[in-house]
Amino acid sequence: MKIVYKNIHLANSHTLAVYEANGGYRSALKAIEMGCDEVIDEVKKAGIRGRGGAGFPAGLKWSFIPKNDPRPRYLCCNADEGEPGTCKDRDILRYDPHLLIEGMIICAFAVGAEQGYIYIRGEFYREAERLQSAIDEAYAKGILGENVLGKGIRFHLAVHRGGGAYVCGEETGLIESIEGKKGQPRIKPPFPANIGLYNCPTVINNVETLASIPAIIENGGAWYGALGVAKSSGTKVFSVSGHVNKPGNYEVELGIPLKKLLEEHAGGVRGGWKNLKGVIPGGSSSPILPAEVCETITMDYDAIGKAGSMLGSGAVIVIDKSVCIVRAVARLSRFYRHESCGQCTPCREGTGWLSQIMDRMEAGKGTHEEIDLLLDICNNIAGKTICALGDAATGPITGAIRAFRDEFVYHVEHGRCMAG
Amino acid sequence: MPTLIIDGKEIDVKPGTTIMEAARLLGIYIPHFCYHPRLPISGNCRMCLVEVEKMPKPVISCAMPVSDGMVVKTGSEMVQKARQGVLEFLLINHPLDCPVCDQGGECTLQDLAMKYGPDRSRYHDKKRQVPNHDLGHLIEAEMNRCIHCTRCIRFSEDISGVEEMGAVYRGDHMRVGPFKDLQLGSELTGNLAQLCPVGALNLKPFHFLARGWELKKVEGVCAHCSVGCHVRMDHKDGAILRVMARRWVEGNETWICDKGRFACDGLQEERLEAPMIRVPPQQGALRKVGWAEALDRAAEIIKGVKPEEVAGLASVAGQGAEELYAFQDFLRQVVGTSHLDHRLRQRDFTGDAEPLTRADLLMNTALIDLPKADVILLVGSDPRFETPLLNFRLRRATQAGARVFAIQPRHLQANLLNLTEMVVRPGEEPRILAALLKALRGDAAGDVRIAAMGEALKGAKKPVVLLGDHAINHPQGEALRRLSVAILEQLGALSSEWNGFNRVSSRGNGAAAQDFGVVPHRGPGYARLENTGMNAAQILAAAADGRIKVLVLLGCDPLEESLDRELARSALAKAQVIYLGAFASEVTRNAAVVLPGLAPGEKSMTLTNCEGRAQVSERAVTGPLEAKEDWRILRALSDRFAAPLGYNDLVALRKTMAGKDHRYDLTKLAAGESPRACDHSPVTLGLALPQVPAEEAAHAGIVLVLEPSFHRDDPVARRSGVMGKLAREGRLRIHPGDAAGLRVAQDGLVRLLQGDKKVELRVDLDERVPRGVVFGHYGHGTDALQELCDFHGGFPRVSLVALPG
Repeated sequence: MKIVYKNIHLANSHTLAVYEANGGYRSALKAIEMGCDEVIDEVKKAGIRGRGGAGFPAGLKWSFIPKNDPRPRYLCCNADEGEPGTCKDRDILRYDPHLLIEGMIICAFAVGAEQGYIYIRGEFYREAERLQSAIDEAYAKGILGENVLGKGIRFHLAVHRGGGAYVCGEETGLIESIEGKKGQPRIKPPFPANIGLYNCPTVINNVETLASIPAIIENGGAWYGALGVAKSSGTKVFSVSGHVNKPGNYEVELGIPLKKLLEEHAGGVRGGWKNLKGVIPGGSSSPILPAEVCETITMDYDAIGKAGSMLGSGAVIVIDKSVCIVRAVARLSRFYRHESCGQCTPCREGTGWLSQIMDRMEAGKGTHEEIDLLLDICNNIAGKTICALGDAATGPITGAIRAFRDEFVYHVEHGRCMAG
Repeated sequence: MPTLIIDGKEIDVKPGTTIMEAARLLGIYIPHFCYHPRLPISGNCRMCLVEVEKMPKPVISCAMPVSDGMVVKTGSEMVQKARQGVLEFLLINHPLDCPVCDQGGECTLQDLAMKYGPDRSRYHDKKRQVPNHDLGHLIEAEMNRCIHCTRCIRFSEDISGVEEMGAVYRGDHMRVGPFKDLQLGSELTGNLAQLCPVGALNLKPFHFLARGWELKKVEGVCAHCSVGCHVRMDHKDGAILRVMARRWVEGNETWICDKGRFACDGLQEERLEAPMIRVPPQQGALRKVGWAEALDRAAEIIKGVKPEEVAGLASVAGQGAEELYAFQDFLRQVVGTSHLDHRLRQRDFTGDAEPLTRADLLMNTALIDLPKADVILLVGSDPRFETPLLNFRLRRATQAGARVFAIQPRHLQANLLNLTEMVVRPGEEPRILAALLKALRGDAAGDVRIAAMGEALKGAKKPVVLLGDHAINHPQGEALRRLSVAILEQLGALSSEWNGFNRVSSRGNGAAAQDFGVVPHRGPGYARLENTGMNAAQILAAAADGRIKVLVLLGCDPLEESLDRELARSALAKAQVIYLGAFASEVTRNAAVVLPGLAPGEKSMTLTNCEGRAQVSERAVTGPLEAKEDWRILRALSDRFAAPLGYNDLVALRKTMAGKDHRYDLTKLAAGESPRACDHSPVTLGLALPQVPAEEAAHAGIVLVLEPSFHRDDPVARRSGVMGKLAREGRLRIHPGDAAGLRVAQDGLVRLLQGDKKVELRVDLDERVPRGVVFGHYGHGTDALQELCDFHGGFPRVSLVALPG
């Protein structure tokens, strides 16, 4: 079942002509005829959870926008796809930008927003160009603008290119960045649904979430809710990378066994399933799952949560036995140190400290005490920061020590890697 | 009203209260670094984490609003662990150089590390090294100590409105500071050091002078301008080494301006240390003598002439109400003259003929109410540099949406939002106000700018008119005052609910001088007098032509303070001068008798602020050995006359003062029963409005306007080395176009000519100055522009010549 990737195999799928030839913008018309509350109800019925990483139910998020508020409302699309391992949104932006625009029109109509922004990461230069030409096409055809699809509602859409900061993918960091400020997440509460962009009610959704909306409207929330498994409905694109024979983006129903995803879709683990060391299931922030867990686990929010990790953005990073976990985690720690915005104490100081210890550990200069020190520092960061970046920085380390503590010990005792 | 439980104690609070504020009400201290009650919340230090039942993670108490039924624990194991973690993080890159840090002993990080922190570090890597910027003369930066709380950034953005501090880079490379070396340019810069919870930003003039615990601390009131901010004077070995802001919710909140904070080094300079007289009398040189001899000589000089040949001039800067009261009492009751004044820069004295009272001469909108104003009209006022903490209140009003209109001879260097300026030719101001009044009464305004102003004022619920120094010392100052009153009367904004009329002199204790009748036409408590004497302008003129033979000066240096320097010079040359004050100057060097008094901080003194609020500032240090409180000197001098003054100690004097004006009843003041600020309505109505001449014909020459200097306009600040470094005085500000016409560049030398008088000055090119007008400060020394002014001729017209070099 393909929903967000249904068109991407078509020639010139990014053009309005091809999109409309395949039923494009009919859902938007249908939604406008349905009415705002009905649209939100359908999305709630679909049970779609945010595809950016946090997994917050989209319909619920939309319903938090205050009614009868004199302030303007805004819709932001988070296209700052920065989670290491993730490249699912890129293909939507590249090959089906109108699907995203249609999803945004429906969402904007539902929440009463007349201005939308697509915050796209700076590195997506060609994607931003393609998105802009799609928006231009839509304006030219009266799909966007003062009179959307001739239905008398107003919706304007602008592309805002980021400067390459990971933290601007955090929704309030993204808002600050659009406002022209330093990309630093805000303290919550207040939440963006009440005080968001320019201190007005704001909905922020991921590209994949918004791209799923037209299908939900077209086929009904119940249809979508029946896909996948309970509490993890619908389809999800998994960006499978690392040591598999066919890395790539695969849109599948949620709840698929991980082994099936890797073996049937991604061509199997390099060197056979036995060569698997572990899988990072949801982007670099999610703790690694060791091979024995990967045997049986299914890819849905609850199952992975129970296993002590997260579905996150759906970036499945496959690691075979050639990899030194300490080295891999040291690299990730450097990433989080580099990307911490520096605003709040535990993340600013903690990510730097973690990275320095991990580098020493990798170089064989760590101590036994420092393995526990790493865990204690992680504990002092997690849950105590302004945004989730602090938590994200601790995930790889706590996960790796939990599953592969012996490799850390080996590094301390032998001064080199166990693997390779 | 949400009810919550914090550490087992229940409390009802207003909705929207944060956990931190609720805990404060219960007397529970929650440690914090970045939270500051007067700044926007940023929630970044994470020190104030508390546990809330049913919440999975600890929450920051500074930002989390309370909700009904919340159960908060501020000391649970989770909280303790979180605090220890945060402190460890803050300390890993902190240099721990407390022994050489000025903040040592009064440092939040030090205190909280002692209380909650680990006793040794688990961090073994290299500490971060952060380069420092040179931030100018006031702030010493040592950014290795910075904990990134962003208080300084939030202060710059929200309070001072000069966005010069910021954060650059990310993560543990994040640096707080400006982008480059710069002299911090707000008038509130010193607050950055007081705000900083660690030793990253310190007071540069105080650098390495003393440790916090060596200082004795005395609470006082700032005497530099008329706001009367609450301060704390920290002194050691007889010298005030630094001044810090105290919390005063109704006034300065927790801020003070740089003059109030840094000018204290001026107290050490050019002090009069012993009484001096001329030996032999008249022609001889000044010689130090004992008090008895000096007072005998002073009495002899006064008795040697007729009472009406004696006149007194007082400076209000640095004088307490006690001195001012005793001064007028001495002159009127002991000597028997009514020639006395303190208004040495005022040009228009026509208001003296009317029975004006306090409400006509001071503020009627309390400082704390100013932020409620919705339309503010500034007339000849530069509040940011005349009364910085009053301006802070105006800025608060504009942040809440108030509009500001300014009728000014030049553009302001303002930090007010929603400011619309109307730059007019000096002297045109009354015409503009008259047109505005007409517009409010329904006539067509003609000028669209005036019409817009009128429309805004008509729609205002709480309008404020603020007359500043330029308006007070304007050649038609009384016209401006009456027109302002009429405008507010037209708007119905002179009632007891909202009185928007404000006349704010920047000079320290001017309100007390008005209250106690240091003016020729009325006595203490606004009592009308039968025999009115000469005003400041008339006294100087009379002294210059020999009708006044003895001048008694209370801290007053007419050469520097008065508007007409030439007149002051001839007055001082002709009359015998008895000088009573703290500082030596050209005047004391040529005086007949010099009686050394005390400066602010060295005496218990009552200061009355622009709202008319009397506040006592206590003594911190003793001052020079021989110097005495000025009122005590006058008391001792009065013993040589037939009817000496009737008070022998401070208590008796203050009782006498309270008898004349009930607002000075100190027992009530101490008990908090004193009248509220601005409790002095009504404003006098029904005075004839002036005939305003039609548009002035263009005159030849360039108009010269003098302004008080923020850094140099009182005797202490004038002598302060720190203020001297900041000041751009001795400069003539000129429009770049005019400068180009004169072929003079920035820093070039020009000569100002008026008749046979001339002054030479360097120029500052300034876009804020209109063409055809030049601005200077009341100057000191050889480049004093008062040489070119007089009391009668309106704004002086000068011609300019560029000089080589």
